[in-house]
Amino acid sequence: MNTPADSLVRHPLTRFFHEATLSAAQAMRQWTSGSVSLALEEVSEIPLESVSQEFALDDELLTMIVHTLDGPMGGQFILAFDEQNGRSLAACLTGKSVPTDSEWTDVERSALQETGNILSCAYLNTLTELVGEEMVPSPPYFVQDFGASVLQQALMAQAMVRDDVLVCRTRFNRDGQDLNWNVFFVPSDPLRQALLTAAEEPLEETRD
Amino acid sequence: MAGSVKTPSKSMVGMGQIDFAHPSEPVRAVLGSCVGLVLYHPPSSRGMLAHIVLPEAAGRQGPPGKFADTALPYMLEELQKVGAYKSCLIAKIAGGGQMFGGQGPLQIGKQNVAAVEGLLQAQRITLVGSHVGGQQGRRVQFDATTGEYHVEVAGKEKVIL
Repeated sequence: MNTPADSLVRHPLTRFFHEATLSAAQAMRQWTSGSVSLALEEVSEIPLESVSQEFALDDELLTMIVHTLDGPMGGQFILAFDEQNGRSLAACLTGKSVPTDSEWTDVERSALQETGNILSCAYLNTLTELVGEEMVPSPPYFVQDFGASVLQQALMAQAMVRDDVLVCRTRFNRDGQDLNWNVFFVPSDPLRQALLTAAEEPLEETRD
Repeated sequence: MAGSVKTPSKSMVGMGQIDFAHPSEPVRAVLGSCVGLVLYHPPSSRGMLAHIVLPEAAGRQGPPGKFADTALPYMLEELQKVGAYKSCLIAKIAGGGQMFGGQGPLQIGKQNVAAVEGLLQAQRITLVGSHVGGQQGRRVQFDATTGEYHVEVAGKEKVIL
């Protein structure tokens, strides 16, 4: 089994998120003909009031694809790009040059939404297998907004019942170069509890 | 955000934080469902911004700015220490959005707004400006020199409260 980077701060859920990220990375490589991959960056459980500092949340406008998990195992899966990186990915996927218009076309939006679908399905299917709890993502929701605003809303389900919040963050690279793309996975508190319970049990099988 | 290593500026008021706006340094915040409450004392040009996350503490621990019902008393106390007494204070609020359209599981933004409005009313502090609700985030900046509270929504004209 591949292991997360040594530099990754160990959290009881690291192995689950690492496995889920491996699946998402495999799906992403297929979707982008091998050029883009991703790896687990961080699993943090920190006081809510530390989130802005911990994640260096500024007032940057981002393009995001948001999936909300419905049902008791709730949460948010957020794929975030800055404008330039989002447009570049959409252009790459549609085989067109990066447009100069400020407005996003339906085709560009659709390309990013499909990317969100592919990533979230791979990620959440793996978590479902590991935890034994079904996770049902909503259709992708295209958002252009302040990144801090969206993450703030995603954290609310945890913040209402807990003082600390759990956030899992993923980094991307293209041909070995880091990209300013991120996936934030924010489970609801029931899902967090289910993940922790499952994490106490040994994995039945490991993967290469 | 991640990937580009940045440090929020000193004037950025994060979730659950409260800060004075100094004449030479406006304070800023980015709001989703949270509420950015400004209390301003025009005679002295003193003012504060609270980045309120939840409507009530209900016995929970945390910094005073995290909850509406702890933020307001704290702000009143801090302002009184610098001579900004309640009788001349005015309030402005922004935020309380419901992101993700109707797909989000919570209506916490509305609850935050209702809590802040109720607390201000109970304290007899006049709410002179409000930009709340909707389905988008807000970038806000409060300048104590002018008393202006700037509210930006992505893709829309800036509003000054």
